[in-house]
Amino acid sequence: MLELKGLSKSFPGVRALDDVSLSFEPGEIHALVGENGAGKSTLIKLITGIYQPDRGEVFFNGRRLGFRSYRDSLAQGIDIVSQEIQVIPESTIAENIMLDKMVTRRRTGIIDWAAVNRRARSYLDMVGLPLAPDTVIKRLSAAQKQLVQIAKALAADARVLLLDEPTSSLTEHEAGNLFGILRGLRDKGVTIVYVSHKFEEVFALCDKVSVLRDGRFVGTKRIDDLTQAGLVKMMIGRDVTETHLGRLDAEGGREMLRAEHVVRKDKVEDVSFAVRAGEILGFYGLVGAGRTELARVLIGEDSLDAGTIFVRGEKARIRNVADSLERYGIGYVTENRKEEGLLLQSAVSTNITITVWPRIVNRLTRAISRSKEVAITRGLIEGLSIRATGPNQKTEDLSGGNQQKVCISKWLAAECDILIIDEPTVGVDIGAKEQIHQLIWDLAKTRRKAIVLISSDMPEIIRIASRILVFRDRRVAGEISGVDDGTRTYAEVSAAIGTYLN
Amino acid sequence: MAKNDPKRPGPRSPRAEEGDRRERISGRTLGLIISAAILFAVLALISQSFISGYTMFVVSRQMAFYVLVALSQAFCLVVGQMNLAVGAIGSITTIVLGLGLETWGLPAWLAVILALGVGFLAGALNGMLITRLKIDSFIVTLSMMFIFMGLRSGISGGSPYKVPESFSFIGQKTLFGVPYVFLLVVLLLGLVGYMFRNTIFGRRLLATGGNAAAARLSGIATDRMVVWAHVLSGAFAALAAVLWASKLGSAAPETGDDWLIISFAVAIIGGTGLSGGVISALGIFMGSAIFMLIKHGLVEVKANPYYANSFLGLLILLAIVVDRVRELYSDKQKGK
Repeated sequence: MLELKGLSKSFPGVRALDDVSLSFEPGEIHALVGENGAGKSTLIKLITGIYQPDRGEVFFNGRRLGFRSYRDSLAQGIDIVSQEIQVIPESTIAENIMLDKMVTRRRTGIIDWAAVNRRARSYLDMVGLPLAPDTVIKRLSAAQKQLVQIAKALAADARVLLLDEPTSSLTEHEAGNLFGILRGLRDKGVTIVYVSHKFEEVFALCDKVSVLRDGRFVGTKRIDDLTQAGLVKMMIGRDVTETHLGRLDAEGGREMLRAEHVVRKDKVEDVSFAVRAGEILGFYGLVGAGRTELARVLIGEDSLDAGTIFVRGEKARIRNVADSLERYGIGYVTENRKEEGLLLQSAVSTNITITVWPRIVNRLTRAISRSKEVAITRGLIEGLSIRATGPNQKTEDLSGGNQQKVCISKWLAAECDILIIDEPTVGVDIGAKEQIHQLIWDLAKTRRKAIVLISSDMPEIIRIASRILVFRDRRVAGEISGVDDGTRTYAEVSAAIGTYLN
Repeated sequence: MAKNDPKRPGPRSPRAEEGDRRERISGRTLGLIISAAILFAVLALISQSFISGYTMFVVSRQMAFYVLVALSQAFCLVVGQMNLAVGAIGSITTIVLGLGLETWGLPAWLAVILALGVGFLAGALNGMLITRLKIDSFIVTLSMMFIFMGLRSGISGGSPYKVPESFSFIGQKTLFGVPYVFLLVVLLLGLVGYMFRNTIFGRRLLATGGNAAAARLSGIATDRMVVWAHVLSGAFAALAAVLWASKLGSAAPETGDDWLIISFAVAIIGGTGLSGGVISALGIFMGSAIFMLIKHGLVEVKANPYYANSFLGLLILLAIVVDRVRELYSDKQKGK
């Protein structure tokens, strides 16, 4: 049994964990949930010795663990599977799994590759990965890499497995496979700690759930004694509604963007759609189904192989993002704000006004008007309730939800009336998520923006879209209209989406 | 939001509280100014002749060249790239200048324009190869360095070209005791600082270096910015070469041989970010002052000149270590 007693950890100015006591039994899958910043990652890093606690202790089977590094934790059979601790891309599967226990021929120190591959093979069988052990890791999909990490943990004879958001890059099918493997491990007596913010998973997979909020332990419950609403309440400390935000009347709206038979080789096949002012058109599907790929074609980042795009009724030729911004007024909020959306080291004002610099430049001095820059930024900070200390705050220091609002703001600053918003609430707190949903809905309802919302989050898309296109295998598999008219329940719409997916 | 955010470190740090104010001089640049002042004071104390008109003339003029060479590197660093050919572009420029003035007998102004044009084109070529063919700037500029160096040796045969007496005016004369070269460079540095702080062009260069993908997806033609960065880099290397010839009173083929290391040293000490997106004109000025003062100090204390390169290397390493320690410290403060 893994027991945490009175763990506390502070960073200057931040109390990340405050007196957390918790225990994880062998043979159970124990979910650890909480909003971003609730202390889940800190807790895992304390267990595995990546951080040292200020106060408190960790016991494993009654013995006190005093880990000083991740290596110590591995030696005790406690392993972590996460996006951060990655496999070595240029090495083979076998090399990764057997990294610290290579089989060598007697005394010579020369590696016995046949034996190494044979052993690696047996661990691959355990996780159900039908690949040759000498396959190079970089050829593997995200799901397969995850399985290699688990195989590696098994090879290390892990008795405690900590999984940090393991399904964030997996398809539903792959996630299902992973769950099967985890259940198998549980039945063999492995303790599994499962960090996630996807409720469907927590309820489908886990036996128990422990909740952290603001660095404090809220409680542990058996999953059977809990409803989704109850869990959300534990996480954020209050109730949240799940109904549609309200009817968007797009019927009379002008058609802003239309795609006809758009093809991007190997990415998008023959997709057609149209979106009106005041409408939120949802693109639902799995990662790689062609939604983001289509968005990149629409904004000119990737070229169009066949098909036609019309903007405001006229045939458009969008060669690059500058075109889509300046000539067509299309804004694209990227799916990963840190990698592609923001200049993290720059001020909030830079990130918001980057799209409008040419419009606020002084003709004579060629200088960007600082006062206009500040005014635009202030307007959006207030308008979107962005929590920042001011226009000059470093963007990196904002929370995920506020960073996302900055990403949306830059297109509002440029007065784009067509917005393509890609996975707006990934890695965002529940509270901030609600605000962003409300914001997107308001942009369509009151400011009459034409919005394409790309999301893999079914509750999200059903909650705010007026119409949903379901993408599968690079094509549109089906369309569900009138999502916002209040005639169908959430369950009915999600069932309709399900039929198109399969 | 208030509910979810109390753990966020950002708004708590005292500096972020002043998120409205824009810092004019960063703490780092202030550190450079203080270091330079200390070095200056020490030199003034140990050397009788240091605060003399002649020493000041030599020091300030030399500093100006360091600034130009550092800027040539910094334009590339700022977009997240590097230019290993700064010195080689300088030397090929010198050759063209020498050919123009001596061999072809062109008027000085035309030879200068021709020479600057060569620097401009060399930079453009680097930029085009990097962006069009998607080759790493390291490889492109490394190859170019050798190509240019070979050309300069082949064409010149190693011997310097004569330049007319009048050509030496800007490199050797002063205005109220201040070298023209120094005045020109201070002016240029001011323009560069203004450009990065206030103009669209400068801000776009910074954005490209800060996060190329985000900049491109915000409508910035990042490839074009990279080409421009290399063009500016080439142009500044060429300008440094022309002024150097004016200072020497001849177009010497070995011009630029020691620029590569100087360009990195001064740019890095001056606070130019190695991964792009960060530059400070005042920082580069102070960086070149510190670099110059240390070099001068080593002469004053009669250090063995054979060890000069070791001091150079140590200085660069020290500058990077100091930055890295500051970075780690501030990450710790934020609890990352």
